[in-house]
Amino acid sequence: MKLKKLQAFFLFALFLTPGILVAQTAEEIIAKHIEAHGGAEKWEKIEALKIKGRFTAFSLEKDFTSYKTKCGAYYSDLYLGEQHVFEGFNGKCGWTIDPWQEIEYARNINSSETNVFKQKAEFFTPFLNYKKKGHKVEYLGKDNVDGEEMFVLKLTREDGKSEKWYLNTKTYLEYKCEAPWVDFAQPVPAEMYFDDFREVDGIIVPFFIERTFWQRDRITQIESIELNPKIDKSLFAMPKRKEISKLAFMEGDWDVKLEFMGRRGTYRERGTTQSCIKFASTNMLQEQISYENGFPNNLSINFTYDAGTKKYRIAAFNDFTSTFDMFQGELKDNILVMEDTHVSYSDKPNAARMCRQFTYTKIDNNQFTVENKVSTDEGKTWKPQARLTYTRKVEDSLSKK
Amino acid sequence: MKKTNLLFTICALLFSALLNHAHSQEVSNQEWNQFRGANRSGSADNVELTSFTDKEPKLVWKKKLGDGFSELTISGGNIYTMISERKDSITGDEFIAAFDEKTGDEVWRTKVDNMFFDTFGDGPRSTPAIGEKNVYSLSSYGKLSANSKKDGKTLWQVDFMKEYGSKIPRWGFSSSPVIVGNNVIVEVGGTDSRAFMAFDKKTGKEVWKKGEGIATYNSPVHGKINDKECIIFANGRKVYSLTTAGDTLWTYNSPISNPTGMPIVFDGNKIFISAVRNPGFIVLEVNNNKAKEISRGTSMKNDYSSSIYHDGYVYGFHVAALQCISVKTGEKKWTKRGYGKGSLIRIGNQLLVLSDKGKLIQVKATPEAYTELGNIQAINGKSWTAPSFANGKIYLRNLTEMACYELK
Repeated sequence: MKLKKLQAFFLFALFLTPGILVAQTAEEIIAKHIEAHGGAEKWEKIEALKIKGRFTAFSLEKDFTSYKTKCGAYYSDLYLGEQHVFEGFNGKCGWTIDPWQEIEYARNINSSETNVFKQKAEFFTPFLNYKKKGHKVEYLGKDNVDGEEMFVLKLTREDGKSEKWYLNTKTYLEYKCEAPWVDFAQPVPAEMYFDDFREVDGIIVPFFIERTFWQRDRITQIESIELNPKIDKSLFAMPKRKEISKLAFMEGDWDVKLEFMGRRGTYRERGTTQSCIKFASTNMLQEQISYENGFPNNLSINFTYDAGTKKYRIAAFNDFTSTFDMFQGELKDNILVMEDTHVSYSDKPNAARMCRQFTYTKIDNNQFTVENKVSTDEGKTWKPQARLTYTRKVEDSLSKK
Repeated sequence: MKKTNLLFTICALLFSALLNHAHSQEVSNQEWNQFRGANRSGSADNVELTSFTDKEPKLVWKKKLGDGFSELTISGGNIYTMISERKDSITGDEFIAAFDEKTGDEVWRTKVDNMFFDTFGDGPRSTPAIGEKNVYSLSSYGKLSANSKKDGKTLWQVDFMKEYGSKIPRWGFSSSPVIVGNNVIVEVGGTDSRAFMAFDKKTGKEVWKKGEGIATYNSPVHGKINDKECIIFANGRKVYSLTTAGDTLWTYNSPISNPTGMPIVFDGNKIFISAVRNPGFIVLEVNNNKAKEISRGTSMKNDYSSSIYHDGYVYGFHVAALQCISVKTGEKKWTKRGYGKGSLIRIGNQLLVLSDKGKLIQVKATPEAYTELGNIQAINGKSWTAPSFANGKIYLRNLTEMACYELK
């Protein structure tokens, strides 16, 4: 009698906990799925993949190369039709250079794209170590897709976005996936189909992946996979704009010798100060510098490049004058000349206005000079006012060497 | 009548009957004289092709061709199509051109408009219609032209944007004109009830106008519904059935938006219409000049490629998957991936499928299962233009070249 009661209790308990039963079933399917991919042990030894092949978009087939790492970083160099596209992702943040969007430089990806890049960064199946990655899986039952019986699993990523995976009940390999995707940075639902599974040093990988979304069709045909290749991690970092990179000589910590023009027309040394210059974004170099010229001046100087005018710009904030000053100029023959002759802050012409010019010369990796001049004739003639000589701090200098 | 005379008469009659029979079969497959061939169905009957594996298609010729997606039409020993050629990076010309069917050599070309430039592929999308003496074409910027088949001489030209206030669609004017009796009928997309118009074949003068709607990518169907001759236009979210005189038989507010693939008339009174957006496809049934939706489904979403109807089934590209569905139930019978956004025609009981990268695949036109009979890499590169078939040869075009293969 007691035994019967115990059995009844267990049956009742099991009835109340279908989640456990379902979870067990999903776990079992995933275990067999990972086994079908070569087994967890083999995948554990893989830190990174280099994938090469052919990618088709807009019916044009071109070469592509991708890198993926175990920590979720991803980089790809591919063609979308005739346009050369680059993508990078460090596991959290990503960027893309996509001429289809008429943007020639790297831009940050949006939240929908981030989800897509997370999918792209997976080692093919997201079910590998899915709990560690923060994914949740729910078994939805069986379905028939294109005449074949499939297990249907719902995978929800840590960002809350979910995918539906269809695994063949005979092979346990993925056949289809429905997931959120992007088209021109806008979210769209997509379907993916996997085929041509091949073995690469013990792991099993789909060499054919077709993705359709909206009316688009993208085909990835893998030709080679290199396990644990050497990867330059800078690949995943968002590239700086080409033009601002030309000012990279300024990046670092500097000792700065200060010289101001004396009454006799010669420079007089007024001590030293320090400057720190670093990239604040892919198109902004930021300098923090303080000095005393009677009164303390704390400056925040921002350098950018404007692709429209093809000129460099400076926006400098001086807390002594408590205002922004703007300068514009060009880098020619290793000399950067920035001035405010083209900048007007008043609607009315001011004959007495004083223009300023900063000339960056004697540029090399460990030193450069900035000369400040003024003009009262709208830049026809310039009078020197101050000279700052930047010398890279010793530790920084050593590290640069 | 003497016995010999009687025998001679009988023999002559028999020979004549045989000749007529052979001729009628040949006529139907000698020409592909408009968009999608005879009846705009993308099909040729009374032909049996040998399996590619038994006899591989033989390349007759392959030629460079000016950019474009216009289909190759074949008539009277010539190929007629639309092409474009750059002068420099931002200018160029659009032509109607004729080529020798046997050699692919250019016979003539006549400029009809300026070149249409697009990042997805430059050049014209519309296919000319071939009449007895003239060829009728619609340029990318909306100029309807009549040119002599013999030498390409321009007989008349109508500028839709100038004359009728039509606006150029994103991919250029792409609808293909159809010849009905003495008229050329085409989607115009003009203002003031000039969505669809008929023009006199000889003069280009306006014969009738009808309907509201902008220029889209759909081409009119000329056929019979319930034994009544009619023209079907699927424009925007509306389906129009007009008499050949331009009178409205019926209209239908369609859930299918801006279909590009040809509407298919089948079973005497039914129309299949598909587009890439939801719901995918609908089937209309027409009785007493009233159209009623009898089914719809998501299992066939045609983008720019038209489907084929054959014996109760529709074969087509569901976005980028070659698929067979039951037209009655919408049930998917089979799917084959890997051909991208290809195109297809039916020759007898076989499908000739052109992948979007120029692979030509021979497939049984049966709902039982996907059965491939062979394939060849016929052309290379972006191949978005459906094949044409005439005289036992298949004519293929990609963005920049064309080719002819002997199939029998």
